[in-house]
Amino acid sequence: MLQKKVHLSASLNYKKCLIQIQINMKCKILHNKLIFFLEGELPEKEMEFVKMHLSECSTCAAFAEEMQKTLGILEAERSPAVNPFFFTRLKAKIENQESEKASVFWRPAFVRVLQPAIFSVLLVLGIYAGVKIGQPTPQVEISVNTAEADIVSFLNEMDSETIEGFLME
Amino acid sequence: MSEAEIIKKLQQGNEKAFKEMVEDYQKMVVNTCFGMVHNIEDAEDIAQEVFIEVFRSINKFRADSKLSTWLYRMAINRSLNFIRDNKRNKWFQSFEDSVQSKNALHEKLHSKNTDHPEFELENKQRATLLHQAIDSLSENQKVAFTLSKYEELSYQEISGVMELSVSSIESLLHRAKKNLQKKLYVCYKKKCI
Repeated sequence: MLQKKVHLSASLNYKKCLIQIQINMKCKILHNKLIFFLEGELPEKEMEFVKMHLSECSTCAAFAEEMQKTLGILEAERSPAVNPFFFTRLKAKIENQESEKASVFWRPAFVRVLQPAIFSVLLVLGIYAGVKIGQPTPQVEISVNTAEADIVSFLNEMDSETIEGFLME
Repeated sequence: MSEAEIIKKLQQGNEKAFKEMVEDYQKMVVNTCFGMVHNIEDAEDIAQEVFIEVFRSINKFRADSKLSTWLYRMAINRSLNFIRDNKRNKWFQSFEDSVQSKNALHEKLHSKNTDHPEFELENKQRATLLHQAIDSLSENQKVAFTLSKYEELSYQEISGVMELSVSSIESLLHRAKKNLQKKLYVCYKKKCI
């Protein structure tokens, strides 16, 4: 009797597993087709399959509802409100651009000729300044010699004053 | 005025014809740009550049395609350029600008339920989620999806704008929708909303 019960429950579990696997497979198939179902682009048989599965599977039904709401945003965005000042702004923009073109008629000559000339002069000046700064100056050596001579006289103090003279002070 | 008459008068520099053209196509161009950049102010700026370009180069327009096709192409190209430039400048955009642009977008969404702020917040989150999902598509997929969903163009019309075959457009849209679905499912699993 016990063996029969165990056998029965095992077979029930097995059947449940099979059903779950079938449902999962159907869910997977549906996930690939849902957007086309919502757009009405599936063949009739597939539409029926999806409808049936949505009536059986609450998870897929919930996802379908979410997706429908999200895609519904497209409907809301489809027709933007017409800006009544659009043409006025457009006309002002065009007029601005044209007046800019007219007022700087000399700009092409400036851009083509003077600008490169000015940049070249600045470049040459910059190079000259760099060379000048980088050149070593001979005066530095003389001052070093003088400094050395001063230090040497301090180091050789013993020559200028004897130790006895220093101690007697 | 018919399209041919408008084009003829535009080529003669007729301001009235230009105004009529802008009034006829403003909504279409702004909507297309909005579908690409998801910001109404940017979309209007890009749309203005499109019309300025039309004003300057109407003489170069060959009548082998419709005026609307030409406008769509310019709107798409300028929007894509804007997105690419924006990506480069993103690091320099202040946090306030980013939040302000998102808020301006959210205000655009007309919600009837003004007494329910939770509903509005949910709507805003969905919009952000959807835009991020659309932005994650490849350029061609995004263009095809925008023209299909925001402008409701047929496959034939989209193929005219994008200069691709109808079968390529079908394939692009199919892949775009599949990728969009994947993104939305990942978000659904993570409980983004």
